[in-house]
Amino acid sequence: MKYQIRHVTRYDYASPVSQCYNRAHLLPRDTDTQTCLHTRVRIAPLPATAQQRVDYFGNSTYHFALEDPHTSLTIDVESEIEVLERPKFNAFDLDLGVTCAEARNLIRRGRTEEILLAKEYLLDSPMVRCSEELAEYARALFVDDRPLLSAARELTSKIFNEFTYDPEFTTVATPIGEVMEHKRGVCQDFAHLAIGCLRSLGYPARYVSGYLETLPPPGQEKLVGSDASHAWFALFSPTEGWFEFDPTNDNMPTEQHITTAWGRDYSDVTPLRGVIFDGGKTQKLHVAVDVTRIPE
Amino acid sequence: MKTPGAAEQQQLDSLLYPAANQRHDEVYTPEGKVRPYWQYLLDSLETLGQSEMAQRQLKTQRILRDDGATYSSFEGPAKSNIWELDPVPMLLDSEEWSGIEAGLIERAELLDLVLKDLYGERTLIRRGILPPELLFDHKGFIRACHDVFMPGEQQLIFHSADMIRTQDGSICVLTDRTQMPKGVGYALENRTVLSRVFPSLFRDSQVHRLALFYQALRQKLNELVPYAPDGRPRVVVMTPGTFNQSYFEHTYLANYLGYPLVQGGDLTVRGGRVWMKSVGGLHPVDVIVRFVNDSFCDPVELRSDSHLGVPGLLEVVRSGGVVVVNPLGSGVLENPALQCYLPKISEFFLGRPLQLASVNSYWCGDKKDLEFVQANFDAMVLKAVNPTHDNQSVFVAELSKEERANWLARILAEPQKWVAQDLLEPSQCPTLVKGDLQPRRVILRSFAVASEQSFNVMPGCLARIAPDKRSRRVVQGQGSLSKDTWVLASEPEKQFSLQATARGKQLARTDVPANLPSRAVENLFWLGRYAERAETSARLLRTVFLQLNSTLQLPKDARHLMLTAVTDVTNTLPGFRGPDAAKLFDAPEPELLSVILDSSRPGSLRYDLHAMLTCAEEVKEQLSADAQRIVNDIRDELSYLDSSLAGGLGSAPEEALDPLVTALLAMAGQAHESMFRGIGWRFLEMGRRLEKAHQSASLIRALLVSCYEGRSQDLLLETLLLSTEALISYRRRYLAQLDIGDGLKLMLMDLSNPRSMLFLMQELTEHLNSLVSDLSLSGLAAEQKQLLSATTALQLVDIDALELADEEGIERAALDAFLESLQEKLRHTADLISDRYFDHTAGPQQLVQTAWENDA
Repeated sequence: MKYQIRHVTRYDYASPVSQCYNRAHLLPRDTDTQTCLHTRVRIAPLPATAQQRVDYFGNSTYHFALEDPHTSLTIDVESEIEVLERPKFNAFDLDLGVTCAEARNLIRRGRTEEILLAKEYLLDSPMVRCSEELAEYARALFVDDRPLLSAARELTSKIFNEFTYDPEFTTVATPIGEVMEHKRGVCQDFAHLAIGCLRSLGYPARYVSGYLETLPPPGQEKLVGSDASHAWFALFSPTEGWFEFDPTNDNMPTEQHITTAWGRDYSDVTPLRGVIFDGGKTQKLHVAVDVTRIPE
Repeated sequence: MKTPGAAEQQQLDSLLYPAANQRHDEVYTPEGKVRPYWQYLLDSLETLGQSEMAQRQLKTQRILRDDGATYSSFEGPAKSNIWELDPVPMLLDSEEWSGIEAGLIERAELLDLVLKDLYGERTLIRRGILPPELLFDHKGFIRACHDVFMPGEQQLIFHSADMIRTQDGSICVLTDRTQMPKGVGYALENRTVLSRVFPSLFRDSQVHRLALFYQALRQKLNELVPYAPDGRPRVVVMTPGTFNQSYFEHTYLANYLGYPLVQGGDLTVRGGRVWMKSVGGLHPVDVIVRFVNDSFCDPVELRSDSHLGVPGLLEVVRSGGVVVVNPLGSGVLENPALQCYLPKISEFFLGRPLQLASVNSYWCGDKKDLEFVQANFDAMVLKAVNPTHDNQSVFVAELSKEERANWLARILAEPQKWVAQDLLEPSQCPTLVKGDLQPRRVILRSFAVASEQSFNVMPGCLARIAPDKRSRRVVQGQGSLSKDTWVLASEPEKQFSLQATARGKQLARTDVPANLPSRAVENLFWLGRYAERAETSARLLRTVFLQLNSTLQLPKDARHLMLTAVTDVTNTLPGFRGPDAAKLFDAPEPELLSVILDSSRPGSLRYDLHAMLTCAEEVKEQLSADAQRIVNDIRDELSYLDSSLAGGLGSAPEEALDPLVTALLAMAGQAHESMFRGIGWRFLEMGRRLEKAHQSASLIRALLVSCYEGRSQDLLLETLLLSTEALISYRRRYLAQLDIGDGLKLMLMDLSNPRSMLFLMQELTEHLNSLVSDLSLSGLAAEQKQLLSATTALQLVDIDALELADEEGIERAALDAFLESLQEKLRHTADLISDRYFDHTAGPQQLVQTAWENDA
């Protein structure tokens, strides 16, 4: 399956910005299940310097600087992605793997490179802190002799069922505690929540940012710019590697999930972070995303 | 047998140093014999005697004060904490030192390998040599620095280690310092001071010189950028600013090495390079020696709340446009848990154990280590893996039973966040305390700089000693007493100082005068302005006190006008112009004292002087030793003011202001006579001229615009002339009685009076002209035009017309209007200068608020 993704971010400033320096995580990376065939970045006004790089996590980053006064900034990223068919898991498949107790034990004692490196995702990260409360929320699902992946799949459903999707409720920096208390949030919060639960119980988990293809209601045209960025999480199984789960949609990612980047949490893969000089106190942000299937 | 009298005499002037008991003593062997390499020093100190040593101690303190050698945070302009140096050096003999040196080199080389591995392949993690949590949970591990390397093999450029001598006499490393060579400037200052305090002792002791180390440091910095034009990269020293406790060291080192001192805001990223904002425009920077913690260096990719860094810096480093030393991310090596694994790492990389071992360390995240720590808890020192400002090392032995239990519980709750180390007893060495030599525990800090595939170690250390006999903590939050460390050579060395050659090379470089950050130039400009403002206020206040205390009763109208003049000239409204003026006229003392002493009141003398001292601190590296001494004097005089004015009007307050006026004059004289005629000097002088001209106009307006009869008029003119040092010249020239017209001519037009407005404006014109020709613009610049218009207006004015009162005979309205317009033109000129030469970028802000990563 091939997709064309267009992600346009626009800032309007109250007064001219004299310089700005940025790092973007807007270019989809390659993974085992997808290849980024081609990316085109257009920035207006033209940047003084721009450089595409690969970060610590293997994500594509884009560093750019504008050094002349400007009152708006547009970053227009168009990517063409080939997504391979992912294995479809049913409940039976998930029941085959390592049990929770074995997994914990292997992670604690394992000396393989893969396990040693995965331990990074067991630790607290800037936006996700382990806690007894988070462990408690998921403990009942991760009983010792239960297969790990099946437990994680149930956690995904549990979050989907018990939390309300509410874009009005949270911002990019809402602490997990608040999300837990009000049982509301968006994809990013649900991913952080699941990661927090898993780490608190001793399982490495990471944050995945990307896109989800949405289909219009039957008989209607798809609206331009109506898609959005999405986020889910991945769990590390010491015997089988990384597996992804989407608590916002209660499923495991399929071809319709396109990965942009991953890291310990959102802060590692912030779509855009930067510093501006001048520009006044307020700024308006407008984001438009389109995920379009390219006919074969 | 000695007579009792002689024995007493000897005792009185003797420096006794008791032999050691339970600790290793640097001087005495366990058998109580003096170690041979201490003998000469001890004998020399004994010969000098107690009273002479006290003198030398005072001299040490005086030199440090004169050098402006401060330590601990800048607590505002009025305070300064002088760096403390014990006049008795710590000694190491050459043979032992060569062993320590070899150990330090090996350690630095190993850490360089570790640094490259942690930001590259991470073999140490993959092969299970270093527990992953230890790296991944450490705040010093900066993921954005992954795979960022400077040209050349070596990545770790500076290495320092804190070392002690343990009970068995061996040297042991407590901590490695890899962020910045903190203390390397103080070590140099200590040496410079001590070699002046004990010139012959120093010479005869055959001490290893430090200069070669600083030469190696300079050479390494020059080699870091292979592509630099004419082989000389442009190096800057980056400081967090005047509020950093080691700010003195940054200024001192920058000057010694001959590099500009900059703050983050002085640098900007353009076109993929780093530039210094200077008066002449942007100057490229090739190498940044940072004294800013790495995580604060770039708010785009590192801590977003930092205002100490340069936005975009890391990306320039990544692309090879600039080299930062020590490299960003090097703080990862300061992880105390790393000490536990250094033996294994050494075996892995070098195939042998380290010659210079670390203190036995235990990472509580390791089960076996934790068990050991629990079993030996009372003999442990606890350190957090990620220390915060308020957690220092915890000495369990010093805790109560309850506290111990609490600490143990805290560690068991999050064991991977804690490291424990064996509690070691540092050796003691003699320290001069109240005239006696007393034992104090000592820690040594070494300094090494990368050079030609290896490291060059400074032959000497910064020694720090415990504040008292019992104290275990040598390094306190608020600084501590230091010592110079002499490594004694077996034979005399060649003399050599870097300062001479650095200076020689500097002068040869054509771009040096322009190589000042705009911020420095702006501070010099304001230094001049505030100094002048303070001087005018002090002079006027002094004159007014004199007149108020005059034996002859002052006419009421003249008295009132003098007091309102104080309010007008210092611009401390409402004051004597406010609704309470009537009351204040009767009892002016509190208001006058407030105009002098109240630092929170803009326009007060103390306020202006604080502002001036703040500017001076910002440009400390631009001040010569003499200038620094004068600045110190002003700070001291300012602190005496409260007590010297405590007696109020009755106690000749005008005299209390005299030393301040003298010190301010000394500062002006120093700048005029001794300061290098570079761009900094021009701006200092321009600030002075502009302000002085402006203040002259204020004085004339305050004192001469209102018309009075007879004696009152004379008194006011006299006050004006007295406060501008012109009365004697006036009397000599005009012999006859006081006349407003003559006074105005003297104050406005007389080119033989260096305080006349025309004189000042002509000098200002000269400065501006020289600057603009530097910029090679065609035609007159805006500020030149503005000044020309002011000067011409002054030259064309009809003084006789200014002297005349208006129709009602109350005011000289024409004079007032004319001076007001002159002041307006001067103000505009100052604005134009500021617009053209100073940096006006607003502070950076985050594009998106990302507060979560900033809680440490």
